[in-house]
Amino acid sequence: MDDLLFEFTEWLRGTPVTELSLWISDTRASEWIAMHFWAIPIFQVIHILSISASVAAVLMLNLRVFGFAGHATLAESAHRYSRVLWWALLGLICSGFLMIVGEPVRELVNPYFWVKMILLVIGVTVAVLFAKALGRQGATSDVAGGGTKAVALLLVVLWCMIIWCGRWIAYAPV
Amino acid sequence: MYPEPENIWQQIEYSSLGITIAESTWMFPTIETIHVIALVTVIGTIGLVDLRLVGVKGHALRVSQIAADTLPWTWGAFALAAITGGLLFISKASSYMINPYFLVKMGLLALAGMNMMYFHLTTWRTVNHWELDPSFPPAAKIAGWLSLVFWLGVVFCGRAIGFTLGIYF
Repeated sequence: MDDLLFEFTEWLRGTPVTELSLWISDTRASEWIAMHFWAIPIFQVIHILSISASVAAVLMLNLRVFGFAGHATLAESAHRYSRVLWWALLGLICSGFLMIVGEPVRELVNPYFWVKMILLVIGVTVAVLFAKALGRQGATSDVAGGGTKAVALLLVVLWCMIIWCGRWIAYAPV
Repeated sequence: MYPEPENIWQQIEYSSLGITIAESTWMFPTIETIHVIALVTVIGTIGLVDLRLVGVKGHALRVSQIAADTLPWTWGAFALAAITGGLLFISKASSYMINPYFLVKMGLLALAGMNMMYFHLTTWRTVNHWELDPSFPPAAKIAGWLSLVFWLGVVFCGRAIGFTLGIYF
């Protein structure tokens, strides 16, 4: 696995991503972040809080779909927690952008970062379609079917994988 | 070879479990990742209740209903975070014990626990009387704000530990 990731990093080094990250590191914003020791930890705190909100939204949707949280209808839960998810995603994107500006080479020339980005696009797409489907299904029936439950579980797995890749950015064999 | 332990923290760190985790290339990051997944679950679910207590409604659910849905998962995730956190501690016990952010994090965790315990033994006992009111009693709002501040501090110190571990001697 390490060899595969190392090959991935070597490939990234030969792409315009490396030049882009070096260019970003020369910008005033990047230099400012690099000069302020607490900037990156604070961005990471915002990132973690945003992840917490998104995890809570995905978890609560799952609990409702599987019948472990029965105080609201499917449609109400979908409406409520998709809003939480959107705010969380806004926080994730803003703090993630600042972390890239602050440490562009560490982030962009990193295999885990790109795996995380791919998983994030898949995760957000699935979450949007899932919330819409729940809203539609909730209008006719308040009991989730097998397919809905499978997608709900898939979302949890995707979110765990996204968090996994995010933490392993720090341990990438680069 | 590891030196002879000089205190209890080094004894823990130089235990076979501590050395196994510290010397493995994958164990520490894997345990740390599970710790993060557990911690964000704790904070996310507690945050839903705390935000409701301080007045962020966003929906028609009663606070007791939100708590009933979330608290079992909060406790489960907290247990997982404590176990994984303990394993991380064992691998670098002496470094953690001289890190001020680790000590503050433990203090904030204790304060968050005491705040929750006090709230549940006092204000929460009468939740059925006030949860339908337009505004919650000050004691409930204060408990919610304190919880949010303590957990924010826990996250900040947790991140600060990662940036300062090993710089204190």
